[in-house]
Amino acid sequence: MADLGERFAAYLARQWREADEVRVAAFERIYGGASRETYRAAVQVRGPRGQSERRLILRRDPESSLIETDRANEYRAYVAFHGTRVPVPRPLVLETDPRWLDRPFFVMEEVVGAVSSAKLLAEPPYARHVERLGEAKWRILGEIAAADPAALGLTEHLEAPPLEGCWRRELEFWEGVIDEDELVPQPIARAVIRRLRRRPPPAPRRLSVVHGDYRTGNFLFDAEGEIRAILDWEMCHLGDPLEDLAWALDPIWSWPDRERPGKLIPRDRALASWSAASGIAIDARALEWWETFASLKGLAIWISSGREFAEGRNLDPILALASWFPTDVHERVLVERLAAEEDGDDS
Amino acid sequence: MIPEVDWVLRASASRLLAEVAPALGDAYLRSNVEVIAALMAAAAEEYDRAAHLRVEENRAMRAIFADAAPLLDEGTLRARLAAAAAETDESLRVSDLNAANGRLRALLIELHALVEERVEDWAARIRKAVGAELRASAQRRALSFYPI
Repeated sequence: MADLGERFAAYLARQWREADEVRVAAFERIYGGASRETYRAAVQVRGPRGQSERRLILRRDPESSLIETDRANEYRAYVAFHGTRVPVPRPLVLETDPRWLDRPFFVMEEVVGAVSSAKLLAEPPYARHVERLGEAKWRILGEIAAADPAALGLTEHLEAPPLEGCWRRELEFWEGVIDEDELVPQPIARAVIRRLRRRPPPAPRRLSVVHGDYRTGNFLFDAEGEIRAILDWEMCHLGDPLEDLAWALDPIWSWPDRERPGKLIPRDRALASWSAASGIAIDARALEWWETFASLKGLAIWISSGREFAEGRNLDPILALASWFPTDVHERVLVERLAAEEDGDDS
Repeated sequence: MIPEVDWVLRASASRLLAEVAPALGDAYLRSNVEVIAALMAAAAEEYDRAAHLRVEENRAMRAIFADAAPLLDEGTLRARLAAAAAETDESLRVSDLNAANGRLRALLIELHALVEERVEDWAARIRKAVGAELRASAQRRALSFYPI
């Protein structure tokens, strides 16, 4: 760890050529973030204008990951949204040359005085701000949906699928992940895939930026009840905005509570807040499709993490945990959805 | 007397959570220990039921195959379902039960996809039976706690 911190300091010294000295005063790994290794660094910089401290976040590619994601797209999302109504940390540098820290990485400014753990929402001083945080969470997601991907410069780098093909691209991608990574045959996942393919959703009116993993736990909030930054854009892409909404609504983020998605405000208020901010009227049938898809995507991610761990490519215990408990939840959610649709077919 | 494996795991997980994790200064290591404790508690739950739920699940799938096979047109799936229905779990080792379970689940997927495409009453009956077994399977394997 100390070695990595020193190498990081050496890299920063090369980036900040005006500095006489760059020293990492504190360097620690942050738990979670199975798709990237995340470190917090306090950096002392001495230069012509004196000494200062900079608080930074380093996101380094892992040796093996829960999900294969494109670091450049994640970094571009931070660049695109920085300074907009969607709060994100200030991105500083993307480095793809592995000679510095063995693997590619990027660096952002740390958002100081904020936390992301969903468990803290039940504790003081955060618990009294749950309603406010809830309104903000769904409003910001609506603002992501309302943002113009071209104006943000994201259409230059992210594939723009045809409107009527958004669902198919996502379903085929995650079906492919299951094909590749399943350790045992998956009858629930396969039944859901067939069901989703038989009844595709209507196309969205326009393409939106899709965060890809927008949920409680992936934003920073403070003791005053402000959402300070939306994090973890590694699955960012262009697509149907209902995809993000459905993922954020998934029961797993508040399990076993089904009333307050993401442990914040009730579902009807969440939908109203999102709709007002996005300007998008929610098509109930389309949202139902995307909610079923969201649970399938989750299951695919847990299946993938199980293979990583089982084959010893990454023995981080979080991968074993992710492959076990969330699989249990998502399989239960998905069989309920299949049963409800089967009952609907019969009536 | 040797303590049961599930008790050893639960007691050790409790010790990790109550004593070891709080003593660790490094937040990353502390979180790792908490996750390992959760895995140990899940393993304890699985230890007692692992063979039972797999035998039950394999038996349920074979019963569906025994019901469905005579209803299908002549062909390889019919023959494979009939053959699988006639098997029993001779070994109660979890690895052997898992291997059989995997083969049966693959057949269940094939059968489910087939009856979804058919409109006859028998197909609807088999479809319902498969759906019920998928729900039962999810419930059987459900863990009694969710630590995330």
